[in-house]
Amino acid sequence: MATSPANVQSFYVVKRPNAFAVAWKVIVKKPSRVIGLILIAIFVLMAAIGPMLYPPVLPIDPLAIYAAPSFAHPLGTDFQGTDVLAEIITGARFVLLGAFFAALFAVLIGTSVGLVAGYFRKWRDSVLMRITDLFLTVPSFPLLIVLSTIWRFTSPLALGLVLGITGWAGLARAVRSQTFSLRERGFIEAARGIGLSDWHLLTREIFPNIAPYIVMNLLIATTGAIYSEIGLFFLGIVPFSTNNWGVMLNMAFTQSGAMYTKSGLLYLLSPLACIMLVTFGVVLFLDAVDELLNPRLKGV
Amino acid sequence: MAFLKVFVRKAIGGLVMIFVVASFTFFLIRLMPGNPVTTKLNALLATGTPYPIALSKVSVMYGFVPNQPVWQQYLTYLGELAHFNLGESISYTGVSVTHIILSAAPWTIIMVLTGVIVSFVLGVLAGVIAAVWRNSWIGQSSTFLATFLHGIPQFMLALVLAYVFTTVWRVFPFGAPYNAAIQPGWTPAFLGSLAKHAVLPVAAYAISGYGGWALTMRSSVTSVLGDEFILAAELRGLTRGLRLRYIARNAFLPLFTTLTLSLGFMFGGSVFIESIFDYPGLGNLLTTSIGAEDYPLMQGAFLLITTAVIVANLLADLLYTAIDPRIRRA
Amino acid sequence: MKSAPLRRPLSDSEIEVSIRGLSVSYQTSTGLYDAIHDLSLAIHRGSITAIIGESGSGKSTLAMAMLNSVTFPGQIRMGAIDYADVGDITGLSAESLRRFRGEHAAMVFQASQDTLNPLKRVGAQLLDMARSHGHRDRKAILREGSLLAERMSLPASRVMAAYQHELSGGMRQRVSMIFALALKPRVVLLDEPTTALDVLSQSHVLQIVRAIHEERHLTTVLITHDMGVVAELSDRVVVMYAGRIMEDAPSQDLLRAPRHPYAKALIRAIPRLTGPLDRAQALPGAPLELRQIPVVGCVFRDRCTLRQSICDEVTPVLREVVPGHRTACHLEVES
Repeated sequence: MATSPANVQSFYVVKRPNAFAVAWKVIVKKPSRVIGLILIAIFVLMAAIGPMLYPPVLPIDPLAIYAAPSFAHPLGTDFQGTDVLAEIITGARFVLLGAFFAALFAVLIGTSVGLVAGYFRKWRDSVLMRITDLFLTVPSFPLLIVLSTIWRFTSPLALGLVLGITGWAGLARAVRSQTFSLRERGFIEAARGIGLSDWHLLTREIFPNIAPYIVMNLLIATTGAIYSEIGLFFLGIVPFSTNNWGVMLNMAFTQSGAMYTKSGLLYLLSPLACIMLVTFGVVLFLDAVDELLNPRLKGV
Repeated sequence: MAFLKVFVRKAIGGLVMIFVVASFTFFLIRLMPGNPVTTKLNALLATGTPYPIALSKVSVMYGFVPNQPVWQQYLTYLGELAHFNLGESISYTGVSVTHIILSAAPWTIIMVLTGVIVSFVLGVLAGVIAAVWRNSWIGQSSTFLATFLHGIPQFMLALVLAYVFTTVWRVFPFGAPYNAAIQPGWTPAFLGSLAKHAVLPVAAYAISGYGGWALTMRSSVTSVLGDEFILAAELRGLTRGLRLRYIARNAFLPLFTTLTLSLGFMFGGSVFIESIFDYPGLGNLLTTSIGAEDYPLMQGAFLLITTAVIVANLLADLLYTAIDPRIRRA
Repeated sequence: MKSAPLRRPLSDSEIEVSIRGLSVSYQTSTGLYDAIHDLSLAIHRGSITAIIGESGSGKSTLAMAMLNSVTFPGQIRMGAIDYADVGDITGLSAESLRRFRGEHAAMVFQASQDTLNPLKRVGAQLLDMARSHGHRDRKAILREGSLLAERMSLPASRVMAAYQHELSGGMRQRVSMIFALALKPRVVLLDEPTTALDVLSQSHVLQIVRAIHEERHLTTVLITHDMGVVAELSDRVVVMYAGRIMEDAPSQDLLRAPRHPYAKALIRAIPRLTGPLDRAQALPGAPLELRQIPVVGCVFRDRCTLRQSICDEVTPVLREVVPGHRTACHLEVES
């Protein structure tokens, strides 16, 4: 049977759906997800270009302390007369970057520990789980406070590292139990039967199965890390290098009497509102990530 | 019997953890930039104190002798620890750390436990409502409320509560555990003042924990309601009361995991809430001791906070083992 | 194939359970669908009736309906289920219904199901059930339970003191039987008594069921998808498809000479011990899903080799072709 190239083409070319197109379709399915994405995008944008929009030291205006919201100062001013909105926008970068690093480290450590413990079991599991239990039991904020005495975490990276080191335990537990149940499934036994190495199994068989879970956790951990970071600043544990949301809260509470005047409300609430909006955005968007990555939900 | 074995095993585990944490703080002080021990020693020497006296002062403060090799210091430290001697405070000169932290402890423990109990009771009720009426607006609004509150960070909640109820609407007094003008004692005036000042901090603990309990209970009850044995109980004609008891007891089991996590979280949160509401508890002590560079006190406060969490977790674990027969046999 | 001997002509036996015009529907996101439609059935006292069908046929729903326990989002939309000396259970008050369940009629669950409270011992739960029905004599109940346990070759004292997780699947099913029989009901329903059991256990279970049925003069209803169980144990068999009865006959008659095309196909699909294996023919197609069940016409028509145009247009009525033998087909087919 003679076939012209055109015929052959139409028979054998399978149109692969563009990954972005698929993702977009899932996202727009529910308006809540779109809202989540927009919120995240706003704050990421703030972090990326925020500091570029303002001079490195924000102007103070002693005549306009705790001014009410106006066109010039949409969120009012702080105890020095600095525009609150400007502080919010420039203050995003440190916080979000630090949170991202924190989530990254927590996920890296937690996943590795969980995989090794869940896969190899026996003594490795016992030892790692004892360590995990320790990190889970010791309350993280007191620990962070104590650690701050030997380590001055001034950069987002250092802050992220220390938060990651204190925050990986919960994920390790969850990854371990997932690895456990995956290990019991037939395909692992079969793979070992044909002589595949442990390393291969871990990276090629098990990890891809838990990857969706890890991605979701990365997002969730970011929101938890934001809260932890802000908390540390609020307590005054982290030295202030630049102004950011946490510093704002600390200032509002300790120095400026914002707690005692009604006009200080916006200064106090703005950073709080930002934290909540970022968290809210991630939570809404997480729904889309879940559907995209969870093979059981696809095509339902 | 099996129960005792489990208890001993877990108690030993707890002790090991306390030991690890204590050792951790010991070595931490040595890692500090500018060894605070030698700093203190030199400061004392600089004021003209004779060397032996300065040395003995510092050893009393920190609980050991600075010029000994590290291992010997470590052993001395552990020995002192076993006698509940945590050295002397630097900022409150001459006062033993043990004494300070023990007088601070009740403030933290009572507040945290009250908060946990309140959040537990309200949260569990809300969770049951959310599960049983999950198809109507009652259940769905309960779920929404729990999710919303669960997402608010604890110290944020405390700040907002403090701000709204002390500044915007002057309903509660701000700061301090009680009105300083009232003489402490078992008088209604004092107790009333204690209670009034405690409302907001306890509320902060309670509301921050409420969401977690409600959501966990809801999913637990929903899951149990779908269990076959509940249907079987209905088909065997069990009374409503018995069926509810079957559901409740089974639904409570998963909550124990939440309990252990919640306790750690609450105790950890005390560093914020006590700082915001100015309560002389362990959390506040920890924060201020850092600022004052009072490292023995910091060590003691941290150790006690962690011990409190470990003990609470141990109790929760034991309670769980007592209730679930499946674990007892293991 | 052996089938259980008939005790007396069925038309003379009193009717223990009378189901009339029963319709059970499920509320879904796309509307209300009937899982059982206009079903009428008479179950005679002392009989062992098997209800057979593929998954989705509605047989389990029927069993639940017989205890008025259809679970949400399902509900009994129409019809009556009359028990002798009790009345129509669809109209009973909640309290009367509760007392009816377990005492007058009881269900034995599948071996694979966890039907016991994991936190309480078997004996304690037995007492719970007895107390719920007003029986306060602890010793008498535990004695009855132990007797039943021994009857089923279970170690009585160990079982009474056991927690669910300490029992195997087969043991759990027998415990389920103990619970079903402890209050001496008149009607016993068994949901898939042989599924999830190995062959030896299956045989054992069937023996026990038959023995107890005779000893206690029960009226037994078996839900199954296994024709072997039908042959082994039952007097009568009811063949269900898509929520309707296709054929309702004495077991011997159905096994020897089925009339409805579906029943014939079911029999044909059973492999024999002797003869070539491909003599057994599987029925092509798959059982209907709830939303696909046609409201008009014969529900079986898509898989029927004898389909006519009338099958699409008119719903066949379940009628007696021979006394005691009903079938729902437009064609009177002799096999």
